[in-house]
Amino acid sequence: MSRAKATVRFLHAWQHPDEIADEVEAELRFHVQMRTHANIEDGMTPDEAQLAAKQSFGDFDRIKISCCEIRRGLPFDMKPLKMGLYIAIACLAGGFALVAVNLPHHNLFGVLWQLAAIAVLMCAFLVGRRKQ
Amino acid sequence: MAKSKAGLLQGTLDMLILKALFLGPLHGYGIGQRIAQISGDELKIEEGSLYPGLYRLERRGWIESEWDVSDNNQRAKFYKLTRAGRKQLIIEEQNWERLAGATMKALRAN
Repeated sequence: MSRAKATVRFLHAWQHPDEIADEVEAELRFHVQMRTHANIEDGMTPDEAQLAAKQSFGDFDRIKISCCEIRRGLPFDMKPLKMGLYIAIACLAGGFALVAVNLPHHNLFGVLWQLAAIAVLMCAFLVGRRKQ
Repeated sequence: MAKSKAGLLQGTLDMLILKALFLGPLHGYGIGQRIAQISGDELKIEEGSLYPGLYRLERRGWIESEWDVSDNNQRAKFYKLTRAGRKQLIIEEQNWERLAGATMKALRAN
């Protein structure tokens, strides 16, 4: 599946959560039905067969929720995106620092620039440090 | 001596799903059946646990799905392996063989 197709699927899942839930439920019900038929063919009564099918399937609702959550999850790895974000923050901090260094320091505006640069640099440092 | 059915090790379910689909497209129930068949009924899977695994693999792009009609004329969601999935299966098989070999070596050590 291409990245574009995966993204379209992801957006569709977010726009139509009920549709996705119905789709997942239909798929899981099909499984339980198939197992029930197989159990009947093995000699169980319909009631026994259905009960056994539900038991062997596991917690239907939990599995359905889990599938829906996975289906609505991001279709790509977040690591490159995070790395890009850190690089952007670092570049921003560098830019701030350059501007702050070149401003005259005898007025309030210049001091505020320097403080802002220090704050951004510290944020970049803390974010980068936390992720290591 | 009676043989007990083995539970699945963490991470092996994904590989087994890929292997089952390597042989052709299947719906979820069929995948469970095929895993049981190719393992000689030795591997026990809680049937429902198959589905989160299928959704994870689809999200990674290793399998893809479409709704179709099953043998008994019911609508069912069929899964098939993608090219990326085939490559991943080869990687998983190699990793598994390496791990199994190393474990056996450790167990046979005196």
